[in-house]
Amino acid sequence: MMGRRLRQMRDMRECLHVGPQLQSYLDGECDPATVRRVAAHLEYCRKCGLELAAYREIKRALATHEQPADDAVARLRAFGEHLAGAGPEAEL
Amino acid sequence: MASLDASRQAAFAKFVLPEVEVLYRVALSMTAQPADAEDLVQDTLLRAYRAIDRFDGAHPRAWLLTILRNAEVNRHRRRRPDLLDDPDVHLEHDTGGGPFDMVPPTPEELVVGREFDEVVDAAFGALPVKHRQVVRLIDIDGLTYAEAAVLLGVPEGTVMSRLHRARKRIRDRLAAAGLAPKQGGGGR
Ligand SMILES: [Zn+2]
Repeated sequence: MMGRRLRQMRDMRECLHVGPQLQSYLDGECDPATVRRVAAHLEYCRKCGLELAAYREIKRALATHEQPADDAVARLRAFGEHLAGAGPEAEL
Repeated sequence: MASLDASRQAAFAKFVLPEVEVLYRVALSMTAQPADAEDLVQDTLLRAYRAIDRFDGAHPRAWLLTILRNAEVNRHRRRRPDLLDDPDVHLEHDTGGGPFDMVPPTPEELVVGREFDEVVDAAFGALPVKHRQVVRLIDIDGLTYAEAAVLLGVPEGTVMSRLHRARKRIRDRLAAAGLAPKQGGGGR
């Protein structure tokens, strides 16, 4: 049976390992072993859970900066379709 | 000759056309003016058309981002070489302050809402330009780290460190505004 102090020390070490991975974890950029390790730690660590929640909310807030729909996309798509249909010679 | 053109056109329609909108969004993140972004994507589409018979069909987005990057570097070479400055220096010095100088009490939880989003916006706008660019490419345009690295011509680790430090900066501003716990605070 593990003593309480020992467990706390182990958990703190795990925080130090997991903390720097949280943003990559959120972005889906961790390898599977890291994903498992982070997920297991998040099961019990409130501090890292809050940290992840903060980054998740930041990402969500930033994602609302969606580009406004623009005529430019339509023009570029038409330009691309023209290339796909006729090649650049017809254009130039 | 005619059949080369036909296969080129088919490949272009298959690999390039679906990426036009992403290319334009990315170009907006790379240039100051929407007109420049449109020029850049046009240039990219032409280059892609000419190069497509040498493209192997794997990772079309990364391939197109490489072309877009080369087109952008060319544009800049004609003007100023500021793509080469190192932005990572600036972030260390700025120790916050400014509009978030008042120190509210530190919450135990996140305080999500309109004020949260406003602080995120302001902190995002205050980032050094290269950091803002990486955040925008990943969080707004939806690129992966690898795609952003190809586009910017830097190692993936550089993308990651810029992105993580930029978000950390935003996160610190939230803490300073009393909308998020201080890092390491709050116990467990
Ligand atoms: Zn932890």
